Amino acid sequence: MEYRSFVDIYTEWDIVAARQLGRNEAKNSGFGTVDQARITTAISELARNIYLYAGKGRLEIERLSENGLHGIRIIASDEGPGIQDMRKVMEDGYSTSGGLGAGMPGVKRLMDGFKVDTEPGVGTTITATKWLR
Amino acid sequence: MNKQMIKCINENMDEIIEKWQAMMKNEKGERFFHFMPENLVEKTSREFAELMTTNIAENNIINAEKLTDFASKVVRFGWSIKFVNKAIDNFSNITFDLLEEKEIIHHDNVRLFHGTFANWISPLRETIIEAYSVEWERTVNLQKIALQELSASLIPVFEKISVMPLVGTIDTERAKLIMENLLEGVVKQRAEVVLLDITGVPVVDTMVAHHIIQAADAVRLVGSKCMLVGIRPEIAQTIVALGINLQDFTTTSTLQKGMKEALELTNRTIVEVK
Amino acid sequence: MMNMRIPILKLNDTLIVSIQWELDDKTALQFQEDLLNKMHETTARGIVIDLTPIDFIDSFIAKVLGDVISMSGLMGAKVVITGIQPAVAITLIELGIRLEDVLTALDLENGLDKLQKELEA
Ligand SMILES: Nc1ncnc2c1ncn2[C@@H]1O[C@H](COP(=O)(O)OP(=O)(O)O)[C@@H](O)[C@H]1O
Ligand SMILES: [Mg+2]
Repeated sequence: MEYRSFVDIYTEWDIVAARQLGRNEAKNSGFGTVDQARITTAISELARNIYLYAGKGRLEIERLSENGLHGIRIIASDEGPGIQDMRKVMEDGYSTSGGLGAGMPGVKRLMDGFKVDTEPGVGTTITATKWLR
Repeated sequence: MNKQMIKCINENMDEIIEKWQAMMKNEKGERFFHFMPENLVEKTSREFAELMTTNIAENNIINAEKLTDFASKVVRFGWSIKFVNKAIDNFSNITFDLLEEKEIIHHDNVRLFHGTFANWISPLRETIIEAYSVEWERTVNLQKIALQELSASLIPVFEKISVMPLVGTIDTERAKLIMENLLEGVVKQRAEVVLLDITGVPVVDTMVAHHIIQAADAVRLVGSKCMLVGIRPEIAQTIVALGINLQDFTTTSTLQKGMKEALELTNRTIVEVK
Repeated sequence: MMNMRIPILKLNDTLIVSIQWELDDKTALQFQEDLLNKMHETTARGIVIDLTPIDFIDSFIAKVLGDVISMSGLMGAKVVITGIQPAVAITLIELGIRLEDVLTALDLENGLDKLQKELEA
């Protein structure tokens, strides 16, 4: 059974909607409170990055079921400016907007799987997964 | 198997066991025969020999209970599967040599005996290894659960003071579990000070230190204070040698000293009464 | 647009804030402004912010909180944060946000005690 849902990100309020969706999905998938917080936080970071750096995009949540393992996948995609220097972006504290620069490296630590597809001028897609232990 | 053969093996059992022990002692990486008390080695060897010879007469199948018993024993002794296999090989080789020496096996009947031998050893090997691996898996699972339970205990010692003793190796998976139990325990027990006791942690490398620092930081965020106690001299040495900075939090060498500080922090002290 | 404001209570020379619902960006920034204004208007020297009902904090909210604390410091007031949930503490640490110089306490009551001691010291 594959199950997907999404929130289109246009305004700051859509960030709230995205993490509410994520929190519910995580809860319904059987994640405990700590993992729920991890997933909600990761969604908030990725959705805000879309809003801040690409202006608009989409945050999708997919429920996973593979080889008896269950989990959640977050897909954050936009057609914004893309990321020039991936190495810098993954460093703690690197920000081009005066933020804490904790979002990208933080999401990687909060989740089990983390993948970035980006092309300058074309856009960015970030996929992050968390498995139920 | 013919009667002559069975008789010969039974009569020379002591010699077979003695030779077998000598051979096993020479196995690479072998510890059992060197470090275990003499009588235990003797008893285990006899049990093994008995196991090897129970099905020697036809129709005799191996006693399942004895088999499991033996398997669980050697798993506990730390015999590897390779070592078990070698034990069976050596036993059968010695027996074969003995039968040859006593001229029960000779040039004319060696072919026939090969068949008899294979019918004896092969099923034995299979059952023993099978029992061994079942037992091994069970032991590993039990250890895993035991380890998880070990890391699951934050003990409320006094009002406002709790202790978490850490025992065993800390990997990333366990560190996460420890962190969750620690924080949930702190909040539930309303502990204002927690003592993280690392007396039972064998190695503190940068990774373990990193996990401990993170745990202490998280404890501070929920509003409590984390102290690191049980720092043995060699741990202190590695911490400094690795350049790990633990300056930001209180550390003591023993749990007792830590407890005294924790009481002071919560404005209390222990007095002797007559 | 909704305009939710976080109530700020005054008790003697202490401001008490209890954040009861999920913070969106606007509400967080509004709170920052309201708190600084309230401090300016009153003689408050200490602030306790209780986060017990909050189930997650991302880097944006963490930054707002950190800024509030630094700004309050500049205005001569001490801040104690109380009731950070275990799940929230763990995600903050994993994000790499240590909130190093922040005073914390398990609950509002402990927080008020701690603040009192800090102000006396
Ligand atoms: N979707 C995106 N498109 C373009 N650039 C991005 C995107 N997401 C992140 N970035 C870049 O990566 C940097 C680091 O992001 P992050 O770690 O979330 O920290 P912060 O948002 O605080 O700056 C951002 O400052 C921005 O330059
Ligand atoms: Mg960001």
